[in-house]
Amino acid sequence: MSDKFEEKIKNYRTAPFDARFPNTNQTRNCYQNYLDFHRCNKALSAKNQDPAPCEWYHRVYKSLCPISWVQKWDDQLESGSFAGRI
Amino acid sequence: MAHQAHAYHMVDPSPWPLTGAVAALLMTSGLAIWMHFNSVTLMSLGLVLLLLTMYQWWRDIVREGTFQGHHTPPVQKGLRYGMILFITSEVFFFLGFFWAFYHSSLAPTPELGGCWPPAGITTLDPFEVPLLNTAVLLASGVTVTWAHHSIMEGHRKQAIQSLTLTILLGFYFTILQALEYYEAPFTIADGVYGSTFFVATGFHGLHVIIGSTFLAVCLLRQVQYHFTSEHHFGFEAAAWYWHFVDVVWLFLYISIYWWGS
Repeated sequence: MSDKFEEKIKNYRTAPFDARFPNTNQTRNCYQNYLDFHRCNKALSAKNQDPAPCEWYHRVYKSLCPISWVQKWDDQLESGSFAGRI
Repeated sequence: MAHQAHAYHMVDPSPWPLTGAVAALLMTSGLAIWMHFNSVTLMSLGLVLLLLTMYQWWRDIVREGTFQGHHTPPVQKGLRYGMILFITSEVFFFLGFFWAFYHSSLAPTPELGGCWPPAGITTLDPFEVPLLNTAVLLASGVTVTWAHHSIMEGHRKQAIQSLTLTILLGFYFTILQALEYYEAPFTIADGVYGSTFFVATGFHGLHVIIGSTFLAVCLLRQVQYHFTSEHHFGFEAAAWYWHFVDVVWLFLYISIYWWGS
C-alpha cells in the first residue's frame, strides 16, 4: 500500500478529478482537502504515526486553492480563529 | 336628479393618493439623508404624513362603504381581489428572504466553517419560546375564525370577545419575540446567520404589528356597529392578513428555527 502511495505522490502532476465535486465551482474541493490535510495530521500525530499519507491532501489543496486563501486560513489557524472543524 | 346607472363606485376626488406619494418620497429621501447626514427630520416628516394619509384614506373608505352604501357586491368583489393580490405580493416579498436564507444555509461557505449553523453561533432552542410563539399564533388563528363566525351569526358580544382575544394573542407574540430579541446570544451583525435571522423574523414581526393594528381597527368598528352579518369585508380582509402572518411564521419556524438550528 505504501509503494503505490509513494508512486502516486511521485507521479503527481495536479489534482485528479474528484467525483465528489463534479461542477465548475471547486471551492469546496479546495476547502475539503485543506481540512482533510490538517485533520489527517492531527489524527495521525495523536496516534504517534507517520503523517506521510497526509501529503496527498497537501498536494491537492496546493494545486487547487488560491494562495491568498491558504495564507488567510494558515493565519487564522495560527491565531485560533479558523472557522472550520479540524 | 342624475344618478349612476351601474353598481360601481366612482370615487370622489381625494388628496390622499398625492399625500401618500409625497410621504413615500419624503421617507425614501429622508432615509438617504439619515444615512449620510445624520438627520432624521425629513424621514420623520414623511412618516407622519404617511400615518395621516393612512388614517384619512381608510376613514374615507369606511365612510363610503359603511355609511354611504357604495360597496355593492361588485365593488366588494373588487376589494377582495385587491386584498388577495396585495397578500400575494407580500408572499413574494417573504419568498425573497427565504431564498436568501436557503442560499446561505444549504451551501455554507468556508468563512462559516462549512457548516450551518455557522461556527460560533449558538442558536435559539426551537422548543422553547419559539414553540410557544407558534402555539400563540395558531391559537390566534382559531380565535379570529371564532370571531368571524360570531359576526356572521350576529353574536355581537362573542365577536367582541374573540376579536379582543385574537389581538391580545398578537400582543403576547410581539412581547415574547421582543424579549427573545433582547436575550438572543447573536445579533444582526453576526455574519449571514444574523442577517438572515433578523431580517426575516424582523419583517415578520412588523407584519404581526400591522396585522394586530388592522384587527384592532376592526374591533373598534365592530363595537360601533359597522359590521353586519352579511357584510363585513374589512374584517375578512384583516382575518386573511392575519392568517397570512401566521403561515409565514410557520415557514419561519420550520426553516430558520428548527431546520436551521
